[in-house]
Amino acid sequence: MRIFDSTLFTMELKRGFRGVLIWTFALSASMVLVIALYPMVIDMYAAIPPEFADLMEAFGGIPDSIVEYYATEGAMMLQLFGSIFAALQGFGAINRDEREKTAESLYVLPIARRTFFATKLLRASLEVLILSAVAAASSYVAFLAVGEPIDMAPFLRFTALNALVFLVFVWLAFAMAALLKPNQKPFVAIAVPFVLYVLYTVSLMADDAVLEFLRNLTPFTFADPLEILKADFEVAWIPMTVFLGLSAAGLLAGWRAFRVREIIV
Amino acid sequence: MGDVIIARNLKKYYGTARGLEDATLSVREGEVYGFVGPNGSGKTTFIRILAGLIRATSGSVSAFGLTPGPDSEKINAAVGYMPGESFYYPERKVREVLGFFARERGVSEVRMRELAERLDLDLGKRIDALSFGNRKKVGIVAAMLHQPKLLILDEPTTGLDPLVQRTFLDLLREEQARGTTVFLSSHNLTEVEKACDRVALVKEGGILFTTTIADLVKRKHKRLVVAPAVELSIAGLERTGGNERESYYEYRGETAPLLSLLADAGLTDVVIRDATLEEIVIGHYERGNGR
Repeated sequence: MRIFDSTLFTMELKRGFRGVLIWTFALSASMVLVIALYPMVIDMYAAIPPEFADLMEAFGGIPDSIVEYYATEGAMMLQLFGSIFAALQGFGAINRDEREKTAESLYVLPIARRTFFATKLLRASLEVLILSAVAAASSYVAFLAVGEPIDMAPFLRFTALNALVFLVFVWLAFAMAALLKPNQKPFVAIAVPFVLYVLYTVSLMADDAVLEFLRNLTPFTFADPLEILKADFEVAWIPMTVFLGLSAAGLLAGWRAFRVREIIV
Repeated sequence: MGDVIIARNLKKYYGTARGLEDATLSVREGEVYGFVGPNGSGKTTFIRILAGLIRATSGSVSAFGLTPGPDSEKINAAVGYMPGESFYYPERKVREVLGFFARERGVSEVRMRELAERLDLDLGKRIDALSFGNRKKVGIVAAMLHQPKLLILDEPTTGLDPLVQRTFLDLLREEQARGTTVFLSSHNLTEVEKACDRVALVKEGGILFTTTIADLVKRKHKRLVVAPAVELSIAGLERTGGNERESYYEYRGETAPLLSLLADAGLTDVVIRDATLEEIVIGHYERGNGR
């Protein structure tokens, strides 16, 4: 029983290469730019009048260090846009063949549906890992370049957990594409990380029992850069378990639907 | 020789919309079988069920004794399928796409290059830069690459220029000579007449009848329109209709007696033409020779 098809995998990687390149470059360059601006931003923060600084406290305050600055200005942007990219890749892995009508030529090849499913899922997963790795490497180089080296362990921890958030969005969007009717607009998939990101930012607004509960309903919680980049970080197991469980259930349901999916183009 | 394709009472509905009403047919090993009918008659639906892309609502179909479905790797390995509209990875070059198909089929690229040359297909062009006809050529190459046991072709010559159509028919004959069974849908009856051994006429989701091309060709006849409307009589001439100004006839027989009759009939206008295959097919059906 063949689960993985390297020929299909290579062809699919080539197909998505330009998109991966553009997104990876754009997000990595943004991270580098954010970090490169830090020396100037420090000066700007120093010039802020105390009364205005007090006002800023309500919105997280002035960052104490480059790590905190990166967490609030860079990492959160990486998370949001990276998750959108992940959702697009996951959804497009199945949906694109139907939208571009290539499905009718591909699904008559001697490749089992399980092989299509696994190969496409692996391809989309690898693409977000590439983006995640390149963005992290670029950021780290940028820290060194501005003369502000950061502690490697929490940075790697953030990179790993952030990549896991991306993977969760790939898997959820992939499952959605398998479960929904063919020819859906990719907008459907983008809505998921967007809504969950809004939920995440809302849940951080105050220390309230309801809001604290809401934090468990978004995967961004277990990759919160501000928390992770702190020394005394603890893994947020509840949202992580919830979303890994949801992804597994989604993929299982998606597989059941995909193996009998009608190819109507 | 056994039957490669067997379909029994095959029905497909898309919600409440009819795709296929009731299709029963069998295709023998090594024959070229034409599936002829107007647009919307259910040809593509039948072909997609046969290719395992969609499921029948009821009835059964088999290819090589196996039921096509989403996991029909065995059938797919033996089948070359060309969709009605050929779409491939749009941003890749033809060579890459066909090379991919060759690798998936486990064949060398020699056959790919040979077919591309015969069809005058530029392997260096991007798929999205190809015209409709050239994408059809990619479809033909992709379907014939691995010299399959069964070719399923949905409207294969639509959009091809006459020279390429001729090359395609040559390729089809070569495949048939090798023992390949061909299931070909078309609304081009001339193409069907040239390529097929047997033909099924499909209309409104059902198969009206199946017959041999040789049988249909035997039924070739002339169609006449004469004015003014007069009654003509000669062996083989049959009035099929008319109005106050003109009469319509079918004629089966030698040309000389017909011309002699028409010359003496005092006509102001005469149109004589060969009946189209469609007219022959429909005439055949209306005479109750079908099914």
